Amino acid sequence: MTAARLAHRWRIYALEARYQFLMVLREPAFAIPTLLFPLIFYLFFGVVMGAGSFSAAAPTYMLATYSVFGVMGPSLFGFGAGLAMERDSGVLLLKLTTPMPAAAYLLAKVAMAIAFGAAVILGIFLLGAYGAGVILYRWQWFALAGVVLAGVVPFCALGLAVGAWSRGRAAVAITNLVFLPMAMLSGLWIPITIFPAALQDVANVLPAYHQAQLALKIIAMDGGQATLLHVSVLGVQSLGFLTVAAFGFRRAETGAVSIRPGGMS
Amino acid sequence: MKEGNRSGIRSVWILAAAAGGFIGALATLPVPDSAAAPGQELPESRFAITDVTLFDGEAFRRNQDVWIEEGRVSRVGERLRLPEDLPRVDGRGHTLLPGLIDGHYHTTGGALGDALRFGVTSVLDQFSDPGLLPGAKAARGEIARTAEADLYSAGILATAPGGHGTQFGMAVETLTEPAAAAAWVRARKAEGSDWIKIVSEDGAAYGGAFQMPALDRETIGALIAAAHAEGLRAVVHVTGMERALEAVALGADGLVHVWIDAVISEEDARGLAEAGVFVVPTLSVIAGMFGDSTGLRILAATDDSLVSPAQRQTLTGAMSFGGGPGGTVAIENVRRLHAAGVPVLAGTDVPNPGTAAGLSMHGELRLLARAGLETADVLAAATSKAAEAFGVPERGRIAEGYVADLVLVRGDVERDVSHTADIVTIWKDGYAIARRAAAEPIAEIAPAPEGPIFVDFDGGIDAGFGFGWQATTDAMNGGASTADLTVEAGALVVRGETKAGFPFPWAGAIWFTGPEPMRAVDFSGRTTLRFRARGDGRSYAVMLFGAGAAGTVPPMAPFRAGPEWAVVEIPLESFATADPSVIAALAFVAQAPLGSFAFELDDVEIR
Repeated sequence: MTAARLAHRWRIYALEARYQFLMVLREPAFAIPTLLFPLIFYLFFGVVMGAGSFSAAAPTYMLATYSVFGVMGPSLFGFGAGLAMERDSGVLLLKLTTPMPAAAYLLAKVAMAIAFGAAVILGIFLLGAYGAGVILYRWQWFALAGVVLAGVVPFCALGLAVGAWSRGRAAVAITNLVFLPMAMLSGLWIPITIFPAALQDVANVLPAYHQAQLALKIIAMDGGQATLLHVSVLGVQSLGFLTVAAFGFRRAETGAVSIRPGGMS
Repeated sequence: MKEGNRSGIRSVWILAAAAGGFIGALATLPVPDSAAAPGQELPESRFAITDVTLFDGEAFRRNQDVWIEEGRVSRVGERLRLPEDLPRVDGRGHTLLPGLIDGHYHTTGGALGDALRFGVTSVLDQFSDPGLLPGAKAARGEIARTAEADLYSAGILATAPGGHGTQFGMAVETLTEPAAAAAWVRARKAEGSDWIKIVSEDGAAYGGAFQMPALDRETIGALIAAAHAEGLRAVVHVTGMERALEAVALGADGLVHVWIDAVISEEDARGLAEAGVFVVPTLSVIAGMFGDSTGLRILAATDDSLVSPAQRQTLTGAMSFGGGPGGTVAIENVRRLHAAGVPVLAGTDVPNPGTAAGLSMHGELRLLARAGLETADVLAAATSKAAEAFGVPERGRIAEGYVADLVLVRGDVERDVSHTADIVTIWKDGYAIARRAAAEPIAEIAPAPEGPIFVDFDGGIDAGFGFGWQATTDAMNGGASTADLTVEAGALVVRGETKAGFPFPWAGAIWFTGPEPMRAVDFSGRTTLRFRARGDGRSYAVMLFGAGAAGTVPPMAPFRAGPEWAVVEIPLESFATADPSVIAALAFVAQAPLGSFAFELDDVEIR
C-alpha cells in the first residue's frame, strides 16, 4: 500500500471516528448518562458516603470498580444500543453503502468507547484523589487506568452481540437489563462479599466481575483468584460474544432481522 | 486530497494531545509522600498500620487496621476508629505478619541481632550456653527497644558421654543411666531451661560415616518422664526414623528434626498425629546438606548491606553430602506428617553449615511450601503453632494484647510465600528495627609486604612469612583427630589421623599469615595460592580463614597429593566467601574418610 493510500485510509478512519464522536457528544441521551452517571455515583457513594460505608478503604475500592463501571457504559451503549438505533434510523445502511470499510465504523465505536471511558476514569480519579483523599503509587494510577481501559474489549464485544440481535429501542432496554444488574452483581458498587453466597457465585460468569478483579488486583483489594483465570475468562467470553454477534449479523443478512430502517422486512 | 491530508494530520495531533493530556493528568494524581510510604517513616510504640492484608497467626484477613499502643497490639479490625493524631503506616499492597519464630536455633554471638534483622523476632534455642538464660528471660519479659530477637532455650542438651552435642567445645553434663535423669532435669530447670532437649543420635542415619555413643531407650524415657514431672516439655533430636518413633512412644512432646533415612508410612504418621507430637523438620539444614540452594538464592537476592559476615559465612559454608536422597526423603516425610495432621513447625538449625540467622527462615518457609503446606499453614508453622507448641506467650499472632512483633512485607504473601523475604519494616515490641548489618570490626589488619610471599621451609618450620605453621585438628571442637608437623629435606611433612568424634573431622597444618595467630593480613591484589604437594594419594582441602565468624565453617578448596611432587594452583576467588583483603590463616587438612594420612608441602606462595 502506498503512502498516499495509507493516508487516505487513515483519513477515512479518523473522520468516521470524529463524526461518531461529534454525534454522540451532541446526543445528550448518550453522553450525559455515560459520562455523568459514574461520576455522580462515585461522588455520592465513594466520596460523600465513602469512608463511612462498608470500609475505610471504600473510596479506594470504589475508585477501581466505578472506573470499570464507567468504561462499561460507553462500551455497551455505544455498541449495543448505538448500533441498533443507527440501524433502525437507517444511518447504518447509509454508511454501509458508502465506500467506507465496515471496520472503520466498528473501530470508530471502539475509539469512542475508549475516549469516553478515559474521560470518565480521569473524572473518577480526580474525584477520588482530591475529594476522598485516595492516594496510590504512581504505577498504580497508570496500571489502573490501563487495565480498566482494556475493559473496552470484552464490553464492546458484549455490546456488539446485544446490538446484533436486537432492534432500536429494545436494544436500549436490553442493554440496561444487562448493564445495571451486571454492575451490581460484579461488585462494582459494593463488594460482592456482602451478598449471599448464591449471588456471589453468579459473579463468576460475569465479565464485569473479572474485569473488576483485575483492576482491584492492582490495589491489592481483589478476592485473591489468579490473574490468569480472570484474563482467560475475559478472553474466552470476548470471543464468544464476537461469535454470537457474527451469527446475529448473518441472520440480518438473510432477512430475519433487517439492517434496513423499520426493522423486520 | 490536500484538504484530506490536513484533516488527517490534524486528527493525529488531536489524538496525541488528548492522549498526552490524559497521561499528564494521571501523572499529577497524588502518590504517597515519602513520610507516609511504608518503609520511609517508621512510627514506633504507638501507631497504626492501615488497610493492610494481615496474617493473624491462622488465616489471612484483608483490609485490616492494626492499632499498636505501648508496644502491644491494642486493636485489630476493619475500619477502626483511629485517633486523629495516631501516626499511620499505609499498608496497602503489603502483608503484615506476626514476627517469625524460628523453632530450631542455636544462639551464638551476634546471631540474635541477625535473626531480628530478617524478621525473626523470637528464637527457640535447642542447645546453647545456659548462661544466656537469665538475661534472655529478663529481656523478653519487658516491652522495650531492643536489637535482638527474644530467646527461649532448652539450655544444654541431654546426651551420652562423647555423644552428639559434646563436640562443640561447650561443657555439657552428660548422663548414662535412667537413675540420673531426674537430677539432670532438675539441674536444667534450676539453670532456667524453658524445656528439655534430648539427643537420640548414633549417627546411623548418615550411613555410618559418623558413629557416636547415644543415650539408651530407658534413659531417654526417664528424661522425658522427669521433664514432665517438672512441668517442662521434652523434645528429642533424631535423624533416624526408628529413633523418632521410639521417642514418640516414650512420650516426647516434639521432634526437632525430620528423619532422612526412611519415609514414614501413612499409618505411623497417623500414629504421630494421635500422639499429639509436633515436628520441627529443619529442612534448611537438611536440604542444604543434600545440595538444595534455596538459602543461597535468597542470599543472592538480598541487598549486601543487610547481610552480616557471619550470615554470609554460615550460609555459604554448606557441607554437601553430594546429593543423595536424604533431602527428598526429608521433604516427603514432612508432606506425609502434615497430611496426617501432625503439627509441623518452621525451624532452621542456625548456624549450622548452609544456614544463616534470620535469612534461612525465609528459605524454610519456601521448603515447607514445597513439602505441600498451604501458605497459611506455612506461616502458622512459623508463628502461632510454634508459640503454642513451646508455650511462648503473647507471640505468634496479631491479636489484641499480643506483643507488637510485626513484619511488614511487600506484596501478597498468601499468593506467594517467597514475598516474606521482601521486608519493608520490622517492629519488635513496637519499635522499628534498623535492618542494615553492622560492618564487622576489621581493625588491625596487617598490610602485606610488597613482592613475593613465599615459604620454602629450607630454614625450618619457623622460617617464612607470618606467625608461622602449627598443627590443627578437630580436637579444638571436641574431635579426636591428630596431626604432627616436621620439616624433612626442606619440605613440610604432615602426618596424622582423622578419627570419629566430630561430625566433620579434620587434621593438618595451619599457616597463620599475620604477625600473630588469627590476625588478618590484607592480601588485596593477590589472586592465587600456589604450592607444591605430594603424598599418599588422598584428597585434601585448603581452608581459608578470614576475620571473625569464629565457630563457623570456613570456605575451602580441594587438592590431591599424589606420589610425585606436583604444583597446585588455587585462585583465591574459588574460596566462595573469602575476601583477599582479610586473610588470617590457611589450613591444609585431611578430612573424611577417617584414617591415617601423610602429605608434604613446599614452596607455598600467595601471588
